[in-house]
Order: sequence, then structure tokens, then C-alpha cells
Amino acid sequence: MLSEKHLPAFYALGALLLVVLPWILTAANSSYLISTATRLVIFAIGAVSLDLLIGYTGLVSFGHAAFFGVGAYVVGILAFHNFEDTTVLGFDGTLTGLIVLPLAIVISALFALIIGALALRTKGVYFIMITLSFGQMLFFLFVSLEAYGGDDGMMMFEGRNVLPVIDLNDRITFYYFCLAIFAAFFAFCHRLVRSKFGRVLAAIRQNEDRMTSIGIRPYSAKLLIYVIAGAGAGLAGALMANHTEFVSPGLTHWTKSGDLMIVVILGGIGTLIGPVMGAFVFLLLEEFLPIIFHELGMDLLKEHWRVVFGPILILIVLFAKTGLYGLIFRKNG
Amino acid sequence: MLDIKNLSKSFGALQATENVSLTVNEGTIHALIGPNGAGKTTLISQISGYLTPDSGSITFDGQDLLALPAHKRPHAGLVRSFQITSVIPEFTVRDNVGLVLQSLDNQVFQVFAKAGSDQAERAKADAILERTGLADEADSRAENLAHGQKRQLEIAMALAADPKLLLLDEPMAGMGVEESRNLTTLLTSLRGTTTMLLVEHDMDVVFSLADRISVLVYGKIIATDTPQAIRANRDVQEAYLGTHELHQEDSA
Repeated sequence: MLSEKHLPAFYALGALLLVVLPWILTAANSSYLISTATRLVIFAIGAVSLDLLIGYTGLVSFGHAAFFGVGAYVVGILAFHNFEDTTVLGFDGTLTGLIVLPLAIVISALFALIIGALALRTKGVYFIMITLSFGQMLFFLFVSLEAYGGDDGMMMFEGRNVLPVIDLNDRITFYYFCLAIFAAFFAFCHRLVRSKFGRVLAAIRQNEDRMTSIGIRPYSAKLLIYVIAGAGAGLAGALMANHTEFVSPGLTHWTKSGDLMIVVILGGIGTLIGPVMGAFVFLLLEEFLPIIFHELGMDLLKEHWRVVFGPILILIVLFAKTGLYGLIFRKNG
Repeated sequence: MLDIKNLSKSFGALQATENVSLTVNEGTIHALIGPNGAGKTTLISQISGYLTPDSGSITFDGQDLLALPAHKRPHAGLVRSFQITSVIPEFTVRDNVGLVLQSLDNQVFQVFAKAGSDQAERAKADAILERTGLADEADSRAENLAHGQKRQLEIAMALAADPKLLLLDEPMAGMGVEESRNLTTLLTSLRGTTTMLLVEHDMDVVFSLADRISVLVYGKIIATDTPQAIRANRDVQEAYLGTHELHQEDSA
């Protein structure tokens, strides 16, 4: 087991691995996995943003995929109107990344502000239920948007968003683009949880009732982190829409919120690198379990690989108190 | 400084605060005594905003306190400590105090300022820990402190808010003789600069500190007077000595 003193070295190694990954995959004749690697970094953004709530503030939000979906739909809807040459709320559709991506962040932050303002009036299991409900409300809202494909969602026929200089339609470029955004978001969160505001969040998690008496209104602090986390998930969703060039209500389904939560718990709540490792293992199992069972000729398990996936997750969570992070690192004093 | 008028609060059939009127003068130490279950903590909670009274008014420093949300009251100079120790368990002792300083400096939402590297805050926190006898424990996690030290930290956090009026809810509860004596000395040193409303069961402490004493029994104030007069008061003696049959379970 490593001590937390080794974290910087671990970060450096992880960063190096992510940077050289496309070369390794190309060399290993598995460049199709670059798409999986891209999903990994996008998923990691979503998971890290959720851990700001679950691990750092003690807010078990079960509707985080909602903001992921909002971010994705901003990209999808603007692409749709650009293709159709129509307007949405008086604005032209567009593929311009410098407009679309910031807008996706702002609009998902706005949704988080509204949902958070209501949901944060509840606590504990009620908060879990109300965030779940809001997530499902958005799911059904997107299902009802017939113009945007309803149930089936919609394709981005003209490809990914357009940025100056970088060509996002090149899959290796796109991987590095997502990796850079992930790195920036990770650095931001690293700073945030060690900031004075981060200290307030930790205090709220440990003893919320004490806050009022020292002049802190927990509601305001929780709302701010909820909006930040929602914006992070929206950013991840916007990248995912670009990645798959397809958006559908399924992105906001409660099972997706569950996936994100599993990734966070699997990786280790209250850590930033934990959810990244969680995303890595989650996608690895998702990608390779069916293949392994196929090779073994176990077709039933290949079909129902989640039957094996579930117990593996349970075992890790059961035996490692802070998930994968706890398996690798010993907490300092 | 603090003016409570006709305050009432009931929980169902239980009248926890009944028509309480109480004035705490600036610069004084005002003790609130009474048997267990008399409603002392309930009264403190209404002043600090943790509970809302059913009727009556509270004026603090010239402003209507009930119109002020609970989390704004510490900023106005009204700070309470808790009878049941309530610190941030995983924080160091210094961070517990630092958090209070941060709040009172209106730095709650500083997303980029690193928590650990504010030297001014650190110096202030250390000075408060020095005063409250916790300097040696500054880097210990609060949950690892002995009970008496946690009580001291509770006081340190209250003092960090630089209160005009300090509501102390049984600050000596569970403290050893030595710690209790130290805290009495500390509170004595604040006399004149910090106004205090002190709830305490230890009568030695009460009579050595208080300028005035109010006696609360079953939600009602039965007497407010100087320590000497309270000591001689027949009603108070009855309430405390248990001659009144209703009060037999109290006062121990």
C-alpha cells in the first residue's frame, strides 16, 4: 500500500499514461479503444463533479445524470437547428464550439441552480429521492420533445462542434481535447476542495447543525457547490454528445445517475483521483467482461455480464472502505 | 444590550418558555439558573435563532433580533456555545477556530484562497488557542481531544467570533476541577468587554462570576436579582432545595 505522500507521483504516472495512451493503443493495433479512452476521461469529469457533492459535502445526489443530459442536449439541439437552418428561442443553431461548450456549462449550471434551490431544502433520504425525481422529470421532458427525436433522440448529422485550429472530428485530437478539459477540471476541483470554501463544505459534511451558530448558512454553500457540480456534469455531457454525435433521453435516465454514483463509490468517495480510477475500472469491466466471457464460450454470461459485474463492485466496496483509493493508499494520520 | 419581552414557546402541551422577560445589561455577566428541564437551553436556542418563539420579542443591540436569520446573528455579535460539545471532528483544533474566523471575515465563498496558507488567520487562531489553553493541541484532530479539551474548544470557537454578547450553555459541563477553574479565570478576564448570558449548574462558578442572576423554573422566571439577594430568596430556595414536591426530581 502507498502512503498519500506518493500521490503526486501517482498523479504524474496517471497523467503520463493518459497522454501516451493513444500511441500504446495504436501500437497494440487496438486503436478502436481510443473511443473507450475518450469515454473514460469524459466519464471521469462527471464522476469527479459528483464526488464534490457526495464525498466532499455529504450530499448524496441521485440525479446527477440530469445535468449530464442537459449539457448534451444543448449541443444536440444547437446542432439540430444548425442543420435544419432554423432557430431555437430566437437564436440560430450553431456548431461553433466556443459558443456551444460555454453555453452548455451555463445552462446546466442554471438547471442545477433551480433544481438545487428546491432539492436542498430537504435532507438525507428525502434529498436522494427528490434529486432522483428531478432527474426522471428531465428524462421524461426529453422523451416528450418530439421535435428532437423524442424517445429515439437525435443524430448530429454535421459532425462534432467546430473549434479554431483543432479538428474535433479527428478522434485522436478529440481524445486530447477531452483529456485537456478533464485535466483543467481536475485541477480546478483540486484547488476548490483545498480552498476556504472547500473547508466550509467539509465542515458542513461533518457537523451541519453547528454552522448556523458560527454565522454560516449551509444552504447557500450547498447551493453553490451543487451548481458547480452541475456545471461540471453539463460539461461532461456536452463532450459526450460530441463524442457519440448523438443525444437521447437515455443520457439522463436514473440508471446513468446510478452508474456515476457507482463509479464514485467504487473509486473512493471524498477523493478526486478515486472517481477517476473508478471510471477506469468501470469502463474496463464494461468493455472486457463480455469479451472475456465470449472467449470462454460462456454465452449466457456474455449476454448478462452485469450479473458478474455487480458482485465485483460489491466486493470492492465491501472490502475497501474508501474504494479503490483505499486499496492503494493509506490515509495520512 | 439584550432585551427579552414576554417570550413564550411551547411544544405541544409543554410550555417550555412562559412569558419570559429578561434584560442583560452591557458589560455584565448574567447567569441563568434553574433545575433540569426548566427551559434554559430552550431559551438560549430562541435567542440564538435555533428555535423560533411563539410570541414575544427580543431586542439585541437596538435591533429586532427575531427579524434576523439565525446565521446572521453571529455576524451581529451574538454568539452561542453548546451544552453538548459540537465541534468539527475531523478538523484540527486550529481549523475549527479558523473556520469561525473565516465566517466572521465573510470569506465563506472564497473558492480559490487556500485554506491552509492564510497566515493572518493562523496567527489569530493561535492567539485564541493560547488564551483558551489549547495551544499545545493546535494540530490535533478535534475528535481526539479529551472531553474537557473539547469543551475548551467549544469556548474557543465562540470567542473566535469576537462576540458582543456570548451565550454560554453550561460551559463547565463535564470539565475537571482544574479546567473549570481555568475557564472561570478566562471568563472573568472578559468581564466588561464581553457581555455574557451564562447557563450553569455549578453554583460556585455562578456565584463567583455573575453580576445578576435569573432563576428559571418550569419555563418561568421566578426571580432576577443580585447573587446575594438570590441566595436569600425563599422561592429560589424552594425550587432548588426540593421542598416543593413538584421539583423533587430536579436540582441534584
